Amino acid sequence: MRTTTRQKIFIYLLIALTLVVFVGPILWFVMLAFRAPGDTYSNPPTFFFKPTFESFYVTFINPGNNAAQLRNSLIVSTRTIMLSLPFSLAAAYSLSRYRIRAKRFVMMWYIGLWMAPPIVFIIPYFILMTWIGWAGSYQAMIVLLQTITIPFSIWLLKSFLDEMPFELEEAALVDGASRLQAFVRITLPLALPGIIVTSIFAFVFSWNNVLFPLVLSKQATATLPVGAISFFASTGIYWNQIAATAVVTMLPPMVIFLVLGRYVVRGLTFGAVKG
Amino acid sequence: MPRLLSTKTVPYLLLAPSLIVLLSLVLYPMGFALINSFRFWNLQTSPTPVSFVGFDNYKMVFTTTPFLAALKNTVVLSVLATCAQFCLGMGIALLLYTNLRGMSVVRALLIMPVSVAPIVVGFLFRYLFAPEGGLLIWLLKGVGFPVPPQGMLGNANTALLSIGMADTWEWTPFFAIVLYAALLNSPQEIIDAARSDGANKLSMLWYIFLPMVKPIAAFLIMIRFMQLFNSFDLVYVLTGGGPGTASRTLSFNLYQEGLVNYNIGLTAAMTWIIVIIVAVIINIYTMVVFRGQEW
Repeated sequence: MRTTTRQKIFIYLLIALTLVVFVGPILWFVMLAFRAPGDTYSNPPTFFFKPTFESFYVTFINPGNNAAQLRNSLIVSTRTIMLSLPFSLAAAYSLSRYRIRAKRFVMMWYIGLWMAPPIVFIIPYFILMTWIGWAGSYQAMIVLLQTITIPFSIWLLKSFLDEMPFELEEAALVDGASRLQAFVRITLPLALPGIIVTSIFAFVFSWNNVLFPLVLSKQATATLPVGAISFFASTGIYWNQIAATAVVTMLPPMVIFLVLGRYVVRGLTFGAVKG
Repeated sequence: MPRLLSTKTVPYLLLAPSLIVLLSLVLYPMGFALINSFRFWNLQTSPTPVSFVGFDNYKMVFTTTPFLAALKNTVVLSVLATCAQFCLGMGIALLLYTNLRGMSVVRALLIMPVSVAPIVVGFLFRYLFAPEGGLLIWLLKGVGFPVPPQGMLGNANTALLSIGMADTWEWTPFFAIVLYAALLNSPQEIIDAARSDGANKLSMLWYIFLPMVKPIAAFLIMIRFMQLFNSFDLVYVLTGGGPGTASRTLSFNLYQEGLVNYNIGLTAAMTWIIVIIVAVIINIYTMVVFRGQEW
């Protein structure tokens, strides 16, 4: 399309507006984390100030109540993907490579489950976890998070496996390899990028989840989002400290998404759009 | 091919673990809710169910909790926010699709809001909406928007709108980058042909661009509609369902009844009503969205 200079200027203005609207608020919040405690609001807003690490120091170093939550977030998210990966990989391989009756139904059921309201699961589990003594444990959160990560991982892994040429595995089988050998030597190495991308997305989903930790964690196992929420409970809202915790919460997913680039489209659409 | 297909049981054995895990994770709470929906049980007064009460809990969902108001809020929020996100996202996707210099950088930056945890988006917007000194309030007042004296979150007319704005901020870029990818994946010859035939912008949009992204758009709208229908995180941080019940969603209503009032019997009945509503919507959606899809 030939665009005139005037059209170009107009398009760039709209793009600039888009960036201000969608990236601006993130920067504004990051700025809050670096402001001095007294400098939360001002009317009119001020854009220039002397940055300080005080909020980060208070939240993560001394007394550093949120440092343990950062560790908990890492533990819960990592263990969640470690548990869901074997289940999802087996199912995705089966759905991608074999002709299965009711395949359509199974795929629909997985995504339907992913779209179900998580709140309906949580109350019975809140009671069950108390009964079996898992209340406030990592396991309680990790098990419940599987309802999100397994369906998602199966869909995304299947899309990666579907793309891999079947002929390579077939050739290995013709050469006398067993199905397991063909999977381990041929399929797994080729599927590794897809497996890594899927795990990273599942990690982000667990990392960003708040409902399950909110209900199932205790003080010692609380994750970062729960830690940020707890600032609201006390008298007055410590905005700078909330922002410091929130910035640390949003940083890993943001860096991951920026690095993954075009895979983000694919990941967030369950592999439906190749990106 | 034939050798892999020879064994009939292997594929089902591979599929079984995930199905068993997920089925049991779902069947337990559903069964629990079904049984307890017919019992009176408040966790504050008794650690175990008290008595059989027939369908009383189901009636009380409508009489003692603002269920219908929450349903209305949920539907309004889901429909309007999904529409806004699709329309704005499509607009931005078409801007990116001009493929002027620098658009790939813009596309990359637009991923940022999508990665932010909804709970953090809640904090961010609560800060932006702070009645005294919030940046967004300052801007809204600047352009002459009638900001209510209690602030956007504290007023019954604007609370739900504010939640919708926060969600739209986070997910419009998602529509934009996915629809942009869909446009790039579409056959360029058709677009070039339509352009050289002198189609104007509006008919290009209606007859070329929208039909091209239709399958993807249907999928995105389905996911987003359901996520909005399940809205909890933003409601929890921004308004707590208030003022009154002005921004209470179905999920928040369930949370309030179950984990604040600890009314387990009533919550169980509400769970089943919500599950039936959601199951109907998801079934209709998947039938429409995945019609004719080859697996």
